[in-house]
Amino acid sequence: MKARKVPLVYPTPSFAGLLFVLAAMWYAASSQNSAAVYLLLFALTAAFLVSIPHTLINLAGVTITLESVQSAFVGQEVSLPVEVTNGSRATRHGINLALSGSSRESERIDYIPAGNASRVTLRFPARQRGEHKVGTLCLTSVYPLGFIRFLKKFASSQTYIIYPKPAGDPQLPSNPAPTLHNRPQTEIRDGDDFAGARAYVPGESQRHIDWKAVARGQPLMTKQFAAEAEGAVHLDFSALRFANVEERLSQLVLWVIEAERARRPYGLRLPGTVISPAVGQSHFHQCLRALSLFQVGTVRRA
Amino acid sequence: MSKSKRDRSIPRWPLLWLAAALLFTLPPMFGSLATWVPCLFLLTLALKFWMEPKGYRLRFAALKLILAALALAAIFVSYGSLNGIESGVSLLVVLMSLKVLEAHTAREFQVMVMMGWVLCLCGFFLSQDFGIALCLLTAFALLLVALIQFHRGSSPGAFWPPLGTTCKLLAQAAPLVILLFLLFPRINTSFRFEFRAIRSASSGFSDRLSPGSIAALANSSDIAFRAEFPGSKTRPPGPMYWRGVVMWHCEGWEWRAPYTPAPVSQSSKLGGPGGRALPGQSPSGKAIRQRITIAPHGAHWMFALDRPFEIPPGAMLARGNYVWSVQPIRKARRYEVISSPEVGVNELTPHERQLALELPASISPAVRELAQSWVAQGSNPRATVNNALQFFRTHGFRYSLSPGEYKKNDLDQFLFHRRTGFCEHYAASFATLMRLAGVPARVVVGYLGGEYNDLGRFFLVRQADTHAWCEVWLPDSGWTRVDPTGVVAPGRASLDLNSFLERRIASGQMESRRNAFVTQLARSAIFTNIRLGWETLNYEWDTRLLGFDADVQEVLLESIGTASRGPLFLITEILVVVSALLVIYFGWMQLRTRSRVDRLKALYERFCRKAARLGVRRDPWEGPSDFSMRAAQLLPNESERIRQISNAYIALRYAPEPGSIILDSFAKEVSAFEAHHR
Repeated sequence: MKARKVPLVYPTPSFAGLLFVLAAMWYAASSQNSAAVYLLLFALTAAFLVSIPHTLINLAGVTITLESVQSAFVGQEVSLPVEVTNGSRATRHGINLALSGSSRESERIDYIPAGNASRVTLRFPARQRGEHKVGTLCLTSVYPLGFIRFLKKFASSQTYIIYPKPAGDPQLPSNPAPTLHNRPQTEIRDGDDFAGARAYVPGESQRHIDWKAVARGQPLMTKQFAAEAEGAVHLDFSALRFANVEERLSQLVLWVIEAERARRPYGLRLPGTVISPAVGQSHFHQCLRALSLFQVGTVRRA
Repeated sequence: MSKSKRDRSIPRWPLLWLAAALLFTLPPMFGSLATWVPCLFLLTLALKFWMEPKGYRLRFAALKLILAALALAAIFVSYGSLNGIESGVSLLVVLMSLKVLEAHTAREFQVMVMMGWVLCLCGFFLSQDFGIALCLLTAFALLLVALIQFHRGSSPGAFWPPLGTTCKLLAQAAPLVILLFLLFPRINTSFRFEFRAIRSASSGFSDRLSPGSIAALANSSDIAFRAEFPGSKTRPPGPMYWRGVVMWHCEGWEWRAPYTPAPVSQSSKLGGPGGRALPGQSPSGKAIRQRITIAPHGAHWMFALDRPFEIPPGAMLARGNYVWSVQPIRKARRYEVISSPEVGVNELTPHERQLALELPASISPAVRELAQSWVAQGSNPRATVNNALQFFRTHGFRYSLSPGEYKKNDLDQFLFHRRTGFCEHYAASFATLMRLAGVPARVVVGYLGGEYNDLGRFFLVRQADTHAWCEVWLPDSGWTRVDPTGVVAPGRASLDLNSFLERRIASGQMESRRNAFVTQLARSAIFTNIRLGWETLNYEWDTRLLGFDADVQEVLLESIGTASRGPLFLITEILVVVSALLVIYFGWMQLRTRSRVDRLKALYERFCRKAARLGVRRDPWEGPSDFSMRAAQLLPNESERIRQISNAYIALRYAPEPGSIILDSFAKEVSAFEAHHR
């Protein structure tokens, strides 16, 4: 990412303390007319002044690359994987990475050797559904003395989506639509017979995760059990009894997850949006995205 | 999060560095504060290292308040008041101790470091000796190391790397320090605060000479003053009698200086540029200019070679030809004075004659009789003086550092029975006897000898060199120095006391005060050289650095021609130079650490900008190889060149070993790209 042109330098809280110490030294030196105290005063002043270019240089050549942000459900944590690259020929010390704005989340990197990169993950709670902009990432550094903070801003136009919180009744509605099309070859639902495993979908119940496989070092897999075949299910916003929009969305999200887990074709009908029944990752995310963005006009900032 | 975790405890290494720094702030405290204060500080530092890994700390506000109140009470008990520099510094040290026990966050570490700097400042209040200053400046630098190590976090290396960074920082700061030190306006603040003198009147002799008062100083290695001789490459020849004060008042065996000395009368001034020169004698020919750096002693006298005639401002030439400062000397001071060893003949005013013959009534008949016997034998004063010296020479008088206690005014005991004494015994008794014999006499107290430092070309005079001698009035030569000690201990006059004693010990005339081995070691060549070198450094520190005050700065500013512009102009000038220096440092560091890959990238971007000017703009997501294909299609004339540059770029950027393609040739190609097109 490109850094904004104007670098920002501002004092840290301990700068006030330093000023106080310098003032005390100056007063003592001038009232006693003591050259030794003057020497101490000037040594401290000069050390502080010289530390300013050191602080500035500490972020020179340091850039960040934002990796793709995983979508998350409300109530979960959003992870922002960031790669901080030191493109200079010197080791950089004490770099702080933070998201500018309301969230106070920051990650500290103690050092990055020359030409290396360091991966950090910014985590913050997902609070509101919808599409959010990552916004501005800030690299700050107070190294070496900590009296001056240098800030480098990186604007990002990258967005991420926060899905509504899944809640409500996990039982899928029993209004199977006529399923003439898109009927899958094998129907898998909760049952007694083990029918294989597939990739874990974030948000779904952890009951069926194949933990033994995880222990063997394999990715998260969900065990599936074959049951009676059923037709596609239509998830209709307007058919729900809840008055609250968010509650309805939560229920729909839960059903989407349940249906996807059961590999049962599902369609989604929202006011103004109709998604025809299907299964699979892209369909799953399309539905969740539609639910997230429902009645949210603008893109929110993180 | 990692930040809050960092806030929960202070890592070990920064704490170690901080502790090391704080240890260096202790030496000045041990001499001048109540001993429990630095001890408490040491204890809390040790405690902190035990507490920190366990997560213990001083948490409760009530406990903190109680401890602070206890400390305050202890300080009050130790010093009797809360005013004054010692109790103020003690209070600060105690508060720092509590802070050490309490601190645990990043913010508080920063605060501790700053308190450490304040402790350095306090150390300078207590002492400004060169050794102490070295300790305090080391502490200052170690605090920087601690701070840097703290901000480095878990970066590899906790000893050399932060030390190296600090050295770099200090090396870069050095020109700034010199600039600020020389040019920053030294404004005297109007609200001065005076420190109570810390060791007032504890060093040096007093205005009263009693038996044993100088012998008590014989073991003191405190420095009285240092003297150099500007315009002269060698030390002046002959014994060095440094005149301090003249005692006029005889109280039997005790002598006393006048409390408020009268200025020297015009007629009794010595010959010289300021006074009346004798025909055929020109003291200015043998005048010795001295630059003297005096250590504070709390009294009024200033020292000069026998006898001063041109005195520094702020002082007066008192009756008896000694330099008397108007203000008591509470701070190290440097002055120039001119002396001449020539003694001019002046008249003795009747008042002075009366003063120089005054005697108390309490002197025993036996002593009076002794003095009268000398007068009877000779008719002129000079013969009387010689008779008296002969008496001291032949009657078994001994020179000793520890002559034992004499009862008050027990002149008889000394003259007729014990006959053992130090210089003040001889000077005082001799002068008293001279007055009894009708010869005007007075006692001079000052220093004799001193150690000449060949390296720094200066005399170092210690309190141990304190000496007392006599002056008698002889009609043909005026006030004449007579040193009865020289009769008893020949050779003392040409040496400093320590060397003189060493010789006597070596020749078995005196028993050693110290272990022979230690004495031998201290006198060995290498140690003498180290000592001389150290003393030279001390002298340089005291005169060059501590002596650089507002007045010296004024002279410097005048010499470079900026004195008249005022402090504001100076500050602006300093600001400009400092900013320029900082910019240079930044540029230099930037140049040294900027990546070579970045240069490659910059060159490629330049190429892209040139291509854009020709009408082919590279999209941000477009790779170099895709772009080169597209550009080559759109610019068929340049296709070969574009392909060449792109391939070179890809090779430089992505090939594991760039091989034959060198960055500079790539730069040339990029430069040639558009130029060729034109």
